[in-house]
Amino acid sequence: MPSSTSSSKRRRAPAPKGIVTREGALPAGLRLTASDRPGQAQPVPTRDIPKQPWGKIMIAVAATLLAGVAALEVNARTRLGLHAGDLDNSEVAWVEERARSENAPAAIVGDSRILFDTNLDRFQALTGVRPVQLAIHGTSALTLLEDVANNEHFNGLLIVGLADTMFFQPFDGYGGYVKRRNDFTTPSGRIGIEIDHMLQRRLAFLDSNYRLSVLAHRLDDDYRPGVEGPKDDIWKVQEVGEQRQTWLWDRVEYDPWIQARSRWAWKGFKEKFPFTPQLIAKGQARAKAAVDKIRARGGDVVFVRPPSAPQLRVNEEAQVPKAKGWEVLLSNTHSVGVHFDDLPASVQNLTLPEYSHLNRRCAIVFTDAYVRRLTELTPRLKLRADAPPPLSRADCVPGARVASAQ
Amino acid sequence: MIFNSLTFVVFFAIVMALHHARFFSWHQKKINLLIASYLFYAAWNPPFVVLLWISTVVDWWAAQWMVRAKAERTRKLWMVTSVVVNIGMLAYFKYGGFLLDNFVSLAASVGVQYQPPKWDIVLPVGISFYTFATLSYTLDVYLRRAKPAAHFLDYALFVTFFPHLVAGPIMRPTELVPQFAEPRRATAHQIHFGLALIILGLFQKVVLADGFLSPVVEKVYDAHEGVPQMLDAWVATLAFSGQIFCDFAGYSSTAIGVAMCLGFAMPDNFRFPYAAVGFSDFWRRWHITLSSWLRDYLYIPLGGNRHGPARTYTALMGTMLLGGLWHGAAWTFVVWGGLHGTYLAVERWLRARFAGWTPGPAAIVGLGLLTYFLVNITWVFFRAKTFTGAATMLKSMAGVAVNPVPMLALLPMLFAIVIVGGIVGTHWAMRKQTLEIAVERTPAWLVGGILALMSVAIVAEQGKGSAFIYFQF
Repeated sequence: MPSSTSSSKRRRAPAPKGIVTREGALPAGLRLTASDRPGQAQPVPTRDIPKQPWGKIMIAVAATLLAGVAALEVNARTRLGLHAGDLDNSEVAWVEERARSENAPAAIVGDSRILFDTNLDRFQALTGVRPVQLAIHGTSALTLLEDVANNEHFNGLLIVGLADTMFFQPFDGYGGYVKRRNDFTTPSGRIGIEIDHMLQRRLAFLDSNYRLSVLAHRLDDDYRPGVEGPKDDIWKVQEVGEQRQTWLWDRVEYDPWIQARSRWAWKGFKEKFPFTPQLIAKGQARAKAAVDKIRARGGDVVFVRPPSAPQLRVNEEAQVPKAKGWEVLLSNTHSVGVHFDDLPASVQNLTLPEYSHLNRRCAIVFTDAYVRRLTELTPRLKLRADAPPPLSRADCVPGARVASAQ
Repeated sequence: MIFNSLTFVVFFAIVMALHHARFFSWHQKKINLLIASYLFYAAWNPPFVVLLWISTVVDWWAAQWMVRAKAERTRKLWMVTSVVVNIGMLAYFKYGGFLLDNFVSLAASVGVQYQPPKWDIVLPVGISFYTFATLSYTLDVYLRRAKPAAHFLDYALFVTFFPHLVAGPIMRPTELVPQFAEPRRATAHQIHFGLALIILGLFQKVVLADGFLSPVVEKVYDAHEGVPQMLDAWVATLAFSGQIFCDFAGYSSTAIGVAMCLGFAMPDNFRFPYAAVGFSDFWRRWHITLSSWLRDYLYIPLGGNRHGPARTYTALMGTMLLGGLWHGAAWTFVVWGGLHGTYLAVERWLRARFAGWTPGPAAIVGLGLLTYFLVNITWVFFRAKTFTGAATMLKSMAGVAVNPVPMLALLPMLFAIVIVGGIVGTHWAMRKQTLEIAVERTPAWLVGGILALMSVAIVAEQGKGSAFIYFQF
């Protein structure tokens, strides 16, 4: 009877000696497995090491790997326009910020517009408060508003940024994962993101938008009739810094081809489903319930509508008119808000390279404008005495000298 | 912690350094490995380490008392205790919600409206795997196939040894415990070949399964609207056959490589399954450690083939149905197992009916392709989340779907076909040899070139750290 304690009698693992003929009736070179030994104790497995100059092979593999990484990095920086320090989007990063938002004085939720169009440094320079960025691209702000409403630890100021159609859409969108955020709180996830970020601060090619398979799939030029291929997906449009500070990728601004792709991907914000009065009313009711919940425990909520280009605005307005969406939202929830229509003329007509998001410099200008307006509307934000001077459209044209925190 | 994560890279580097450090005694190194294995598991959900401890302690003592017992009845009692505790934990965490849902449905069908509180239990990662591993310990001792381990540390390390802990290969105590008795330190060649296996495994998982095959599968199987055309349904199903193989065989290869780098040997879990001719052959090649476990601890105790045809077919079907349920708490998995049971039963009947027939080369290939075709039919139930979804796919595959639409772009489809074709072709080319033989017969420059390309592809693919499919089981 084989014994699981009999190993003391076993020989030391033999030195590699190449393939040997193994037990049983199988052809030479085939190992027996548990499937060949029914109803018995299985012996210690034998694992052969093929005869090869493994040392040399592994040195060659390591050298090729290093050369490959170097080539990928050079390609990423010179041809693709990627930058080191772009930390990519991740669920774990959002969950970490969400944890940080508990007991924070201010937080931001919403879709990609408020995410891209808010400069946290400028916000802090103006008010002394650095809000926690919880907005998620492609996600209804309503979903995130409700998430914060359910967070008993938050009683600060919540800034809800919205694109009207996305706010009232009948599904969560990309950020649906916030409802199962516990999946992303594992110790390995947290350690993993620290290592990821450590590498991404130094290497530009680590970008999920430029993975091998993604690039290979995007070679498909809609060859098959009737199918929207991977090329029609939304390509990279943003870069992400520390604490989820996000901005429009500069290549979207300077590369006409990428810019055209991004514009095309939005498809004019023409949604497939109708924004019926019932759908909008349902969204309004959900928003009111969430706002009331936050206020009941001492918090407050304000709304912000970042700009969109006329090419999109016309369709957004057709689906969710400002009078039925935005204005009812403010009155129903008894909230104040900043709509980009209402900002001074000096900050109108900011640059929206792909129609939906401001470029990085204009995002600073827009942040400056809406935060100043918010300080007038809510006592929870105060303009610092040493706040930098106001910015205008002139500050966001290429060549203008403006720093986010000045 | 998953193998395809940077966290694991750092973890493994530390474990390797500690394991090969000369200033630790063998006893201390085993303690290091035990702690590392607990950390590996706790990296998902620390409280669930308690389950590992319960399983470890209960089975250790059950085996000890089994050996000391004078009466057969007492031995049996300790064996049953072990089975009840282990299967009880598995049932609670994995099947509790499933059983409750079925009870509610059953009650509703007879007019009783029962609304229980929501079953909100998180499934501990790999519970099915380590439950089977520890059960094999007490069962082997009970069946007098093995003596209990002499040292608790060796036994605890057998249960928790991180390379096999969460997704197999499901190891038997007699395979691993003896390896802990003497100092083990991998040779340079073992480390190099172990790393080669890790590269192969990660390439299968990160590049092929996650990068190229998964998007094709998801696009069709997870489509929110529309019914796929016949071509799309078939390509998606074939892609899933490749995805699940690359995912699971990739995990097994990586696990074997990791263990080899530490100087330990783990058993084969796959033997080129898509070159199987017939289903008994398939199950000798697919998830070998599970199929042999089910055979040794379920099929044979149920009677095996020693009590007449009726008992044999019943045991076969029972084993495969439970094997299906082992994969997931859903009726679709039961049907998957049932289909395999039916295939095995039919094959058994045909073998008896045509006992004198020896297939020629063409027939072998034809039967092999038929086997692969039928395996793909079962994968539909494995992948579809509902019977409605499975029915939709099968109708599309049969070409009888109403108003089907194209779903897959041309290039992703071609990539999937080339990859799956490559997998099946490789399996046929390798069906009568081991990977090691093939590697040994390949020129060194080609081995190095392939490994180098795979390594660069893994880095270029980056991976999103997605979990292995079998973790959910």
